[in-house]
Amino acid sequence: MKEEIIIAGFGGQGVLSMGKILAYSGLMDDKEVTWMPSYGPEQRGGTANVTVILSDEKISSPVLDKFDVVIALNQQSLDKFAPKVKPGGILIYDTNGIHNRPTREDITIYPIDAMDATLEIGNSKAYNMVVMGALLEAMPYKLPMENVIKGLKKSLPERHHKLIPLNEKAIEKGREILKK
Amino acid sequence: MKEEVRLMKGNEAIAHAAIRYGCDGYFGYPITPQSEVLETLEELMPWETTGMVVLQAESEVAAINMVYGGAATGKAVMTSSSSPGVSLKQEGISYIAASSLPALILNVMRGGPGLGTIQPSQADYFQAVKGGGHGDYHLIVLAPSTVQEMVDFVGLGFDLAFKYRNPAMILADGIVGQMMEKVILPEQRPRRTDEEIRQQCPWAVTGRKDGRKRNVVTSLELESSKMEVINHELQARYREIEKNETRWEEIDVENADYLLVAFGSIARICDKARELAAEKGIKLGIVRPITLWPFPTEAIARAAEGKKGILCVELNAGQMIEDVRLAVHDNLPVEHFGRMGGIIPSPDEVVEAVEEKLIRK
Repeated sequence: MKEEIIIAGFGGQGVLSMGKILAYSGLMDDKEVTWMPSYGPEQRGGTANVTVILSDEKISSPVLDKFDVVIALNQQSLDKFAPKVKPGGILIYDTNGIHNRPTREDITIYPIDAMDATLEIGNSKAYNMVVMGALLEAMPYKLPMENVIKGLKKSLPERHHKLIPLNEKAIEKGREILKK
Repeated sequence: MKEEVRLMKGNEAIAHAAIRYGCDGYFGYPITPQSEVLETLEELMPWETTGMVVLQAESEVAAINMVYGGAATGKAVMTSSSSPGVSLKQEGISYIAASSLPALILNVMRGGPGLGTIQPSQADYFQAVKGGGHGDYHLIVLAPSTVQEMVDFVGLGFDLAFKYRNPAMILADGIVGQMMEKVILPEQRPRRTDEEIRQQCPWAVTGRKDGRKRNVVTSLELESSKMEVINHELQARYREIEKNETRWEEIDVENADYLLVAFGSIARICDKARELAAEKGIKLGIVRPITLWPFPTEAIARAAEGKKGILCVELNAGQMIEDVRLAVHDNLPVEHFGRMGGIIPSPDEVVEAVEEKLIRK
């Protein structure tokens, strides 16, 4: 098992923290993990991305140019990373603000409306967990939910543990919108 | 605190590892991409638990001179910075080496020259292994490629520094500083007591309570004949370090037609490139120097036997390649591939460079 994933969007969408929760969940599921962020001034309102690798074996390069799964949360990220999905791989993108849709036919594409789904839950901060739910549903590697919860507990400071049920709900919502 | 599995950034890992090693003091000044070292130490507040001092100095120059002072008393002390900050520390580093003192310095390299960029680089190779400061001295230079090695090399760096009374440097890059991986933290070791320091470091300036002869820690000796003796002693120690402490890793060298030589996180990009190249029928092996000084000269010469060429992959314009060329003389083609200014090459680019620079030539 090996999943090479990139999550890309605007700074502030929770891209890096989603990557962190995913990495921690993988760790709780006994996988080797790397979390490699784009770091620097571009995180302030500009684009942010994070590469997460989950694997049964020791991970070589933390930096990649082809991915099993690409998650693009704005047009810029979609344009940049859609061509970098491996043939047969998965592309998940948020349709909000997207005018140029991806056209590749050699990959599985999941357009999602994560923002609307987040508003239905009633807490816009849960946006990244809705996206995470879609990822967990789409990914061939089935990460057990109990380990995702453990990952959430590990990556959130204790004062935020009361928000775990909300995050869980958001993940479930994300799974649902992907299935549609 | 027992052994523990965690997910953390390389920079955070350094802070945890320093505390658990029983480090006595950290003196630093923030600079991206390594500010999390100081931040994490401040957050962990080791002065409340182990008694370790954590101090944000007024400048890099002040910080390295605090390390000089602490090291002179036999304490396990360290500093960290990134490229421009490490340049500021060079005078102090030369003094520490000249005074035969153990200390640990971390450089999480960013793109240069000058203030450059905050993105990853390996352009301080020359500075780290060829001097950096003035005079004939060497640092023991360790190049971590994983977050786990960031942890392990804190302990190894301090151990070697004390064994040889010589400063050690962890030469990391922004990738390994900023990325998160699974790490196993070692068990907490107690800081050494004053009595243990007096026993283990008879050279330290600890106060002359027992009437022993006076210890002097200095880098100054105005009499040339004596200064030459000091130089010879340093050189003898460097030969000893070269003999005992050269470290490297080899991957698939035996079956390879071509070798990649790379250090730090770039060696991992090369490992991925090795996998991709194999799909094209190109057999690559990797030699990863772990100690950049002492350099694994003989290991590279051995690994190169019967090979068709070597590609040195570095995040710079070609620095380690000089040492690789010295190792293999002119027995086979040695080419360089690198990106600069904070750009990280992809594994595909490395394979293309092998094809372009070695195979099609």
